[in-house]
Amino acid sequence: MPEVRYARIAAIFLRTEIQYAMAYRANFTFGIVRLFIVVGTSIGAALILFQYTDAMNGWTLPQMIALLGVYYLVQGLADLMFMPSVTKLMEQVRLGTLDFVLLKPANSQFLVSTRYVEPTQIASVIVGAAVVALGASRMQPSPALSDALSFALALACGVALVYSLLIAIGTLAFWFVRMDNLLVIFSSLIEAGRFPVDIYPGWLRATLSTLVPIGIAVTVPAQAISGRVDALGLATIVLVGAGSLVFTAWFWRRGLRSYTGASA
Amino acid sequence: MKLLRIYRALLTAQLQATAQYRAQAFLYVLFSVIRPIVFLAAWVAVANARGGSVGSFDVADFAGYFIALTLVSHLCMSWFAWEFEQDVAQGNLSPRLLRPLHPIHYAAAANISYKIVTSIGLLPILLLVAVSFHARFQTTLEHLLLFIPSMILAAVLSFLFDWVQASTAFWITRSSQVSFVLGRVSFIFGGQIAPLALLPGVLGTIAYALPFGYMLAVPADILRGGVDPARGLLLVGAQALWVLLFYAALQRVWRAGVREYSAVGA
Repeated sequence: MPEVRYARIAAIFLRTEIQYAMAYRANFTFGIVRLFIVVGTSIGAALILFQYTDAMNGWTLPQMIALLGVYYLVQGLADLMFMPSVTKLMEQVRLGTLDFVLLKPANSQFLVSTRYVEPTQIASVIVGAAVVALGASRMQPSPALSDALSFALALACGVALVYSLLIAIGTLAFWFVRMDNLLVIFSSLIEAGRFPVDIYPGWLRATLSTLVPIGIAVTVPAQAISGRVDALGLATIVLVGAGSLVFTAWFWRRGLRSYTGASA
Repeated sequence: MKLLRIYRALLTAQLQATAQYRAQAFLYVLFSVIRPIVFLAAWVAVANARGGSVGSFDVADFAGYFIALTLVSHLCMSWFAWEFEQDVAQGNLSPRLLRPLHPIHYAAAANISYKIVTSIGLLPILLLVAVSFHARFQTTLEHLLLFIPSMILAAVLSFLFDWVQASTAFWITRSSQVSFVLGRVSFIFGGQIAPLALLPGVLGTIAYALPFGYMLAVPADILRGGVDPARGLLLVGAQALWVLLFYAALQRVWRAGVREYSAVGA
C-alpha cells in the first residue's frame, strides 16, 4: 500500500520538525500567543463592522465568523507544510541540493511538498477549526449534516487549490530560479481572504477566483457550512480542485526536466 | 549646517543603495494597498446594506479615507525594530556605536530614501483605486496646509516610536514580539479597520488616548478633509505632544540601553 507508506513518511517529517521546534519552547509558546492575538483582533474587526449592520452582502455575523475560521484554517494548512517546503525548494534549486531529494526512493513532488513543517501552524489549524465551529453553532438554523459534508469537501478542494498554486510557483524556479517575489504577492493577496470574495470589485474578485484562488478557497467552504452553496458551485470547486492537482503533477514533472543539478 | 551636509552625503549613499532593489521595493508598495482595499470593500458592503452610508460616511468618503490612509501609512513606515533585534543579538551594533555619528541618523537617511524611491510607484496605484471607487476628497487649502505638518509629525512620531520599541532589544532577546503585539493594537486603534469616528462606544475614546491614531488616522482624516480645521489644529497639537513625549522617552531608554548592552565578544 503506497498510501500507508507515504502517510508514514509525512508523519516522520512532522515528528522531526516538532522535535526541532520543541528545542525552542518559549518561541513556540509565543507563536501560539501571537496566533490568539491575531485571531482575536480579526474577530474584533468583524464585530466592529457588524455593529452597523446585520448582514454584509447577505453574510450574517455567524457566517462571517465561520468564514474567518476557514481563512485561518486554510492559511494555517498552507503555512504548516506547503509554504515552508516551497521556500526551501527554491533554495534547493538555486544551490543544486535538490539532487539529494531526487535520489530518494519516493515521489519527488511528495517529498518537496511535505518535508519542511512549521509546527506552530498546527495551532492555527486547530484554532481555525474552533472558530468555524463557533460560527456554525451560532447559525440559525444550525447547519445540517449535508452542509457539514459539503463543507469538508469544499475545504479539501480549497486547500488543494492553494497547494497547487504554491507548488506551481515553486516549480517555476526550475526556469527562473528567483521566485521569492511571487511568494510575496501570494502572502499579500492572502489578506483578502478574510472577507467573502463577493464583496470585492470585479478585477480583484476575478484575481482571487482564478490566478490566486485564495478567495474561492475560503469563500466556498464558508458558503457550504452556511448552507448557501448550490450544487453548481460545489461541483465547480471539486472539478477545479481536482484539475489543479493533475496540472501540478504534470507541471512538476515538466519542470524537473529543466533542472540541471549542482554539478551539471 | 554640519548636520545638513552629513544628511546630504547619507541620503546620496542610501538612495543609491535603495535603487538597487527597486523592483522588489515597488512590489512591496504595490501590495501594501491590499489591506486598505480589503477593509474599504468591507465598509462599502456595510454601507450598501444600510442604504448607502454609515454615520457621516458614504461609499465615496470611505474610499477617500482608505486611500489617504494608505498614503499616510506608507510615509509613516518605520521598520527599524525588526532589524535591530539581530544587530543587538549578534553584536553588529558595536562598530556603529564607535562611529562619531549617532546610529539614528543612518536609520533616518535609509528611511527617507526608501520613501522617496517607492512613493513614485505608489501614487499612480492610489490614483487608480481612487478612480475605480469614485473617492471623495473634501480637502480645502487649509486642510492641505494642516496636512503637511501633520504628516511630518506622524512620520517623526512613528520613527521615534519604532526606536523606543527597538531599544527593548537591549533587555529582551526577542523584541520583535513586542513590535508584533503593538502592530495588532495599531490594527484596531490606529484606524486600519475603521475610521476612528466609527469605532463603537469606548473604543473611539481609547483610540484618541493612544499614540497609534496620531500616526495613521489623524493625518488621513485631515488629508481627506474629514475634520474641520479648528479640530485639525488641535489634533496636530496632540501629535506634537506625542513627538515630544517619545523623544524624551527615547533619550532615556537609549542611554540606559547602551549601558546595558554587552556585545558578543566584548
